Amino acid sequence: MSLTVVKGLQSEIFVPITPPPVWAPVTKELKDMTIALATAAGVHHKKDKRFNLAGDWTWRKITDQMKSSELMVSHGGYDNSDVNKDINCMFPIDRIHELAKEGFIKACAPVHAGFMGGGGDQEKFKHTTGPEIAKMFVEEGVDAVILTAG
Amino acid sequence: MQRAIEAAGIPTIIIAALPPVVKQTGTPRGVAPLVPMGANAGEPNNPEMQRAIVKATLEQLVKIESAGKVVPLPFEYTAKV
Repeated sequence: MSLTVVKGLQSEIFVPITPPPVWAPVTKELKDMTIALATAAGVHHKKDKRFNLAGDWTWRKITDQMKSSELMVSHGGYDNSDVNKDINCMFPIDRIHELAKEGFIKACAPVHAGFMGGGGDQEKFKHTTGPEIAKMFVEEGVDAVILTAG
Repeated sequence: MQRAIEAAGIPTIIIAALPPVVKQTGTPRGVAPLVPMGANAGEPNNPEMQRAIVKATLEQLVKIESAGKVVPLPFEYTAKV
């Protein structure tokens, strides 16, 4: 009989169990990388459908043609006042463009992803939204992704 | 989300305002500047700070050697509420 009933148990008080590590190695230098952004901050284009603030597992594609001034946030889980002043404090897209221009990275990716973290259907996030966004990045030849969340 | 992208073979790094949370949920790589939730990449309308955070984040993307590491970053911003 195994003495372990719950695998990965860290505490008898109910806390989320940390899942096993996942790791994709970095194989290029920064100057050769195309970088994309993915944010749980609820960023999307102003013409896009707003997120359901009570919980939403859907995501919005943000193309690189969209100007940062055309982006907005709908998220019910944090104080939006800073991000409403400057989208770059959660979605530093203008900064990525600057770093590409100065040659620190190779390029800014043609696509990015916005979704609303902090709740919602976690199973959907894990098995639908996450893999969909990952697939888009793979198809667009993205080398690495910076996330803002948590 | 980060784990799904990483599982697809693309390395990732998260800029977190709540480092214990991202650590517990199994982040592969993270950085944690001293920022409030909602301004993870730095103070609004402060491009110098934002650029420095993004740059330091990318440097840690290359530098971090094993999964689950969250590196503190020496930038501080407190929201005025």
